[in-house]
Amino acid sequence: MKEQPSQSLPANAYLNLDPRTKLFLLLIISTIMISGEIRGMALYARLVLAAIPFVLLILGRRAKAAAIYAILFAAAWLAEAFLIYNTKGIANIVIVMLSGLISRFVPCVIMGYYTISTTRVSEFLAAMERMRFPRNITIPIAVMFRFFPTIAEESHSIDNAMKMRGIGARSFVGNPAVALEYRLVPLLMSVVKIGDELSASALTRGLGGPEKRTNVCKIGFGAWDATFASLAVSAAVFYFVSLGG
Amino acid sequence: MSNKLNTKDLINIGIFTAIYFAVFYVTGMIGYIPICEVLVPLLLPLVTGIPFMLFLTKIDKFGMVTIMGIIVSLILFATGHSWLVMAVGIPCAVIADLILKSGEYKSWRKIIVGFCIFSEWIMGAMLPMWIMRDAYFDRIRAGYGDEYTDTLMSLMSGWMIAVMALMVVVGGIAGAYIGRSTLKRHFERAGIA
Repeated sequence: MKEQPSQSLPANAYLNLDPRTKLFLLLIISTIMISGEIRGMALYARLVLAAIPFVLLILGRRAKAAAIYAILFAAAWLAEAFLIYNTKGIANIVIVMLSGLISRFVPCVIMGYYTISTTRVSEFLAAMERMRFPRNITIPIAVMFRFFPTIAEESHSIDNAMKMRGIGARSFVGNPAVALEYRLVPLLMSVVKIGDELSASALTRGLGGPEKRTNVCKIGFGAWDATFASLAVSAAVFYFVSLGG
Repeated sequence: MSNKLNTKDLINIGIFTAIYFAVFYVTGMIGYIPICEVLVPLLLPLVTGIPFMLFLTKIDKFGMVTIMGIIVSLILFATGHSWLVMAVGIPCAVIADLILKSGEYKSWRKIIVGFCIFSEWIMGAMLPMWIMRDAYFDRIRAGYGDEYTDTLMSLMSGWMIAVMALMVVVGGIAGAYIGRSTLKRHFERAGIA
């Protein structure tokens, strides 16, 4: 996860979906996975939806992420199926928390990771423009996605720098406000500076121009988009029908 | 100076929304520890005070706070929260923006009020616990088991909604002061604010 995701795309990915399809999948997966109904037949719909990011990761040649995801999810799923109703007290709460968190949120996080890491910023902008989203919303969102990896990276470096000076988590136990300051202040400083540079570079490349932007990215729906979208929709319909019935 | 947002403003919104969201996300994780769920409304504005105050120094036009609010609620909606988060979040952002604008984004009193109102969007994420109470807790019971649900339900009685809204205000005021003092101590000296 160290690479600059939104900048580079593995040229050898077997498949690249349209950004709109990815967002649509993300919306469906997160709506249903987080709502977390596990009674009866709805379970199968959830399994299908959880499998989608896994398949996409494999097709996008991210086998390692796919494997980690599969192991985490399977463990949480088994814990939910067998352990929750057989334990009590603290153990129950811990298991419920962990497995609930993983089986609900990890599929969405993984789908989000896939979406961000396989979509170039200009692809995203092109797709949003086709959907007639106003620029005032799309540009900040694009910048935001571009910045998440940067924030993670900078935050990691700050962590390292603090460790090197012997300021670890232990120094903050009695003093959480200081922890906030030590982490946030340098992070904000560097991110704001990087942002200024980004603004300059985007402006010289004509982002602020009054003309309608053209885009070299080819986006459009193909057979794979239809396959994944209809799979997700049918799982969602099945999910809601099985809850109603 | 034109009143239309230019590209630099839009990029600034993006940067600060990213930071705001990252900080919020880390704080939100605390909410999954069973009892700590009630603390999120207090912690959120407390922790996001620093980035928000820095964001305000970059603003001189109406619209930037609104757009930040729209994006935050859009993303929360896209990641599985109910539509209520948008129904509460977007009006909050607009009102906050109007108040901040009336003080030209500099009046300290209006900044405090505006920041508190902006932060109230978190109530939109928590409202389902009351408005759709039965459906919400049924779902939690099915997924999380009885013990967790009962703990949460006993905690989330009707009057908690007012307490939580108030916690946002308390957190907001404290967050604004923390933000301002940090701004003075670090960012102004470094020439960033």
